[in-house]
Amino acid sequence: MWNLKHFAANLYRQYELVTCINMFEPWEKKLINGFVLLMFVLLIFSSCVYLPSYMDTLLDVITPTSGTSKVPDMVYVPQRISSI
Amino acid sequence: MGNVDDDSATFEQSYDCANNRNEKVSTPISNGHIPSHAFVQQKVEGQLSEPELVEEEQNEEQLLLNKHLKFSAPAYTEIRTRSGGLKFKGTSEGSYHPAKQLEANGHATKSGSKCEKFKPSQADGVLSAEQEHYQKTSFEDVPLHTACLTYLGFYLLMILGYINQLLFVPKVATEKGREGYVALYDAFESFYSRYVYRRVRDCWNRPICSVPGDELVLKDRVTDDYGWSFRFTGTETRCLNLGSYNYLGFAAATGACADDSEQRARQKGLAYCSPRSELGNTQLHIDLERLTARYCGVEDAIVFGMGFATNALNLPSLLGPNCLVVSDEKNHASIILGLRLSGATTRVFKHNSMRDLERVLRNGVCYGNPKNGGKPWNKIMILVEGIFSMEGSLVRLPEIIALKKKYKAYLYLDEAHSIGSMGPTGRGVVEYFGADPKDVDILMGTFTKSFGSAGGYIAGSKKLIDFLRTNSHAHCYASSISPPIVQQIYTSMSIIMGEDGTDTGRNKVQQLARNTRYFRRRLAQMGVITYGHEDSPVVPMLVYLFSKIGAVIRTLTTRHIAVVGAGFPATPIMEGRIRFCLSAAHTKEQLDYALDVIDDVSENLGLKYSRKPRDPKIIEY
Repeated sequence: MWNLKHFAANLYRQYELVTCINMFEPWEKKLINGFVLLMFVLLIFSSCVYLPSYMDTLLDVITPTSGTSKVPDMVYVPQRISSI
Repeated sequence: MGNVDDDSATFEQSYDCANNRNEKVSTPISNGHIPSHAFVQQKVEGQLSEPELVEEEQNEEQLLLNKHLKFSAPAYTEIRTRSGGLKFKGTSEGSYHPAKQLEANGHATKSGSKCEKFKPSQADGVLSAEQEHYQKTSFEDVPLHTACLTYLGFYLLMILGYINQLLFVPKVATEKGREGYVALYDAFESFYSRYVYRRVRDCWNRPICSVPGDELVLKDRVTDDYGWSFRFTGTETRCLNLGSYNYLGFAAATGACADDSEQRARQKGLAYCSPRSELGNTQLHIDLERLTARYCGVEDAIVFGMGFATNALNLPSLLGPNCLVVSDEKNHASIILGLRLSGATTRVFKHNSMRDLERVLRNGVCYGNPKNGGKPWNKIMILVEGIFSMEGSLVRLPEIIALKKKYKAYLYLDEAHSIGSMGPTGRGVVEYFGADPKDVDILMGTFTKSFGSAGGYIAGSKKLIDFLRTNSHAHCYASSISPPIVQQIYTSMSIIMGEDGTDTGRNKVQQLARNTRYFRRRLAQMGVITYGHEDSPVVPMLVYLFSKIGAVIRTLTTRHIAVVGAGFPATPIMEGRIRFCLSAAHTKEQLDYALDVIDDVSENLGLKYSRKPRDPKIIEY
């Protein structure tokens, strides 16, 4: 648990450093982080609403397959993405 | 803000503790003189047996104790407990402790102990000059994603700066009754310093309150309004100094130089308040000029009280409007100012690119002055520096001398950083490359860096110096160098030349060469990107991003290391860097401590950009 927290803190620090966010004042930080979060949420929302088939495929790719050779046609995913 | 120190509480505590101790004595002045551990022990025992000691001795002992305790304070030893990819063999391996000073580590002592396989600061001359240059100069292109992120961060800074400026009135003084006037200051410059530079302003122009030797004492200051204003906390932090141009360690509050200067000030006063050509000329100045000429191996020399003015005011007397100047793109601001004042036509060639230099020279010779109907130029002068202070690179002198002879151009060599720090006996890049000083027409240098003083000189043929004596503005109008400063230069120069009968100077030069090579190799092994020549004591470490400059400087300050960062106006936008300046006053232990901290910090902040293969072997000092 502590390790995870440490890792997350490290990740956030790297994010702050590479985007120069660590130089800003608190309200500016909130503004930028809010903007980034908003964009991210909008992106996810719109892809869920307007591209449901795409999201299904993506979820299929992401979720680890528990059984061996359960869905053999899923190996072919990259081409299906590109065809959309 | 930007500090990687998670457990700042321990640091604060240790810091308070150190400062409480400091309150008892006056500011401990660090001058690179660290007493031996045995001496401290003896003192402590002595104090236990005899409680009534003289107050002065007690003070001194307290000072020594401070020094002793300082390095075992948590802030200094914290690095041992952090994993950070560090693998120490013993527990005390990574710490810098005065007790270890006793161990023979090849640093410059009066007895002159040195290692057998020591290689002096000198070009090998085995390969051709060009091949050797490429072999010894480290340079790496910026990774693409870092370049993109740097620009992204910069745009963010700009956009938020404009928003900030729009919404709030900047907390700066404004003049009343100036309606209708045009702005006196450049709009972008003031915007930049208010909304970009201000955010990391605490990393620059930090006040110090000791002699900047191998260590220095920073005056702590805090800001309550994000960099608009600072207030002093009244405390002090002693830091390892990796930021001064104190190459040979002559900037010290004790020692022969300081004693001589003090004596001279008592004897001759502080200033002559008159130019050299009027009442300010004394035997001291004439002696210094003769010594400088001997030091550089040329006929004559002329000295000035200000290094910047040496370039900026002498170039106009040497050059006129119908002259062509071929100048390196990384030349110092003083040279650029001098060239602008002179009115000469300036053509810039790519940094250290001999092919580009030859192209520019050939074009100049072939096509002549276009403003004068293509008639030939009066003279063509090549302007280069010995060590380029921002790049840490060395001039390619043998090739430039060959080109200069081929195209019959003059050569002006600014040895501001290289004099004293390069070459087996510290005579600068000319000695480093084994060139003849007479092949360089104008040798310019400063006394500010290696000699721990102030001022500049120009050395060359008798004819050139006589010309400058009559024509130079810096000679005719500026007041002469103050006597204690002349004495500091004279003493340090004679120590480097070995005229004081010891080999301290030679040892210092060798110590610097050894420190430089060790530091650069260790940095390369860590995987950070450094620029410049293997033997140049200026070591720029590339951090690229603007935010990382501030983060690195702040973090290193909490670990008691003072460094200098350079950002956008001084360097290209993409190449923010931390500049380490090594000194002969640093010992191996100090460098080891600094390197271990830098390793840890670069791991945490992600500065290990290098994609070159790393040397797996242990670097020998």
